[in-house]
Amino acid sequence: MMLQIESLEYSVGEFNLGPLSFELEKGGYLAISGPSGSGKSLLMELIAGLRRAKNGKIIIDSANHTFTPPRERPVGLLFQDYALFPHLSVYDNIAFPLRIMKKESKVIDSRVKTLADYFSIEKLTGRDVGTLSGGERQRVALARAIAYEPNILILDEPLSALDEDLREEAKQTLADLKKMGQTIIHVTHNRNEIEGLASKSIALFQGFIKSEF
Amino acid sequence: MRFNNSFNLTYLIFALLGGIILIFLIAPLLGLFFSLKAPQLFSTINDSQVSNSIYRTLLISAFVTLIASLFALPLAYILARKRFPLKGLIEAIIDLPIVIPHSAAGIALLGFISRDSLVGSLASSVGLNLVGSSTAIGMAMAFVSVPFLINSARDGFAAVPVRLEQVAETLGASRYQVFTQISLPLAKRSVISGLVLMFARGMSEFGAVVIVAYHPMTTPVLIFDRFNSFGLDYARPVAAIFIAVTLLIFILLRIYQKR
Repeated sequence: MMLQIESLEYSVGEFNLGPLSFELEKGGYLAISGPSGSGKSLLMELIAGLRRAKNGKIIIDSANHTFTPPRERPVGLLFQDYALFPHLSVYDNIAFPLRIMKKESKVIDSRVKTLADYFSIEKLTGRDVGTLSGGERQRVALARAIAYEPNILILDEPLSALDEDLREEAKQTLADLKKMGQTIIHVTHNRNEIEGLASKSIALFQGFIKSEF
Repeated sequence: MRFNNSFNLTYLIFALLGGIILIFLIAPLLGLFFSLKAPQLFSTINDSQVSNSIYRTLLISAFVTLIASLFALPLAYILARKRFPLKGLIEAIIDLPIVIPHSAAGIALLGFISRDSLVGSLASSVGLNLVGSSTAIGMAMAFVSVPFLINSARDGFAAVPVRLEQVAETLGASRYQVFTQISLPLAKRSVISGLVLMFARGMSEFGAVVIVAYHPMTTPVLIFDRFNSFGLDYARPVAAIFIAVTLLIFILLRIYQKR
């Protein structure tokens, strides 16, 4: 199993999440859906390490990561607004995690080129991120999120910021990532957008799993 | 139509009232420059006591600004990012030098560094006399001007979306790397504005500096000294030259901010 969530609990204010338990196989595509306030964003942040669990376990690739800080978790995160670094170029955004890992510049260059080709953004690498369209921003953010090959890629509402005509294209990109064997968690309030993508689906309601299939 | 007329009339009255304040700000400065006499101005420019005091003032202010930033920027970042008990009190303490009379700040600082104080006695045990030194001038400048740096940097850090810092962490960056590679570059404009404001405010300081160190003279103290000893005609060219230097710094800051 790539991800095992065991009796995970978290509280913020009067809202209680869990206890939640579920698993995701390697290369799987898990959709977590639910209305606003159902706890899906909290769950995503717990898995990424941005929040600290109250109880339970988060096991990623057989290692207990319940209390490891975000930088040590093999989890990539794509935020809804893509959270590209506005002071860095497209190239530098994608290269950011590789530079943090102190990779050699040749390795960084080669990896950025590979990803840029894969996401068809090779002509954008010198651009300022502020000049990109929504679809381009998403592809740059995806390239950055998988640049250091995380075991799990979490996508927070990856399609909701896109215009209707760009959604199908973006969906295809996600389907391609899945084909590559990337384990993906797709968080969404819209269950329709995960049709044909998800291998497993969890619906949250008021902090609990309402349905799982 | 009636609404439109009253709207325009309001703006007209506001513009007139605002214009009076602008004239109040600009008239004394213009008057100072127009009343300058060329021979006096040139002899003041060539006066080594004046030029030395300007260099001293600029150098000490620049140096304390850089040193203070090592302490002020981490504090500004914590204030922007963390909630903790007594945070309001700490913010009030930071603003204290802005609201207290600067002569009173000078008296407090003098008590802090005089030979019979702990700091002063420690300094004199290694042969340093803080009172009347460049160190005392720097401390007085920093005391009254560091709030401008802390407040400007804090606002700059607070404006950096937390999400960008979170995403950097998920990409493997440590908290320190997040600060140096994301937060600081994104707050750069506010930090530089704060540094320039602190530098400018520090070099303009008179009240606190004159109490802890009359000598060596900074330019504001020299202006006072010339006025007190020789009168307005001797103080005016020094003041004009120093105002010109200060204005130049502010014009550069404005150009930087508009870029």
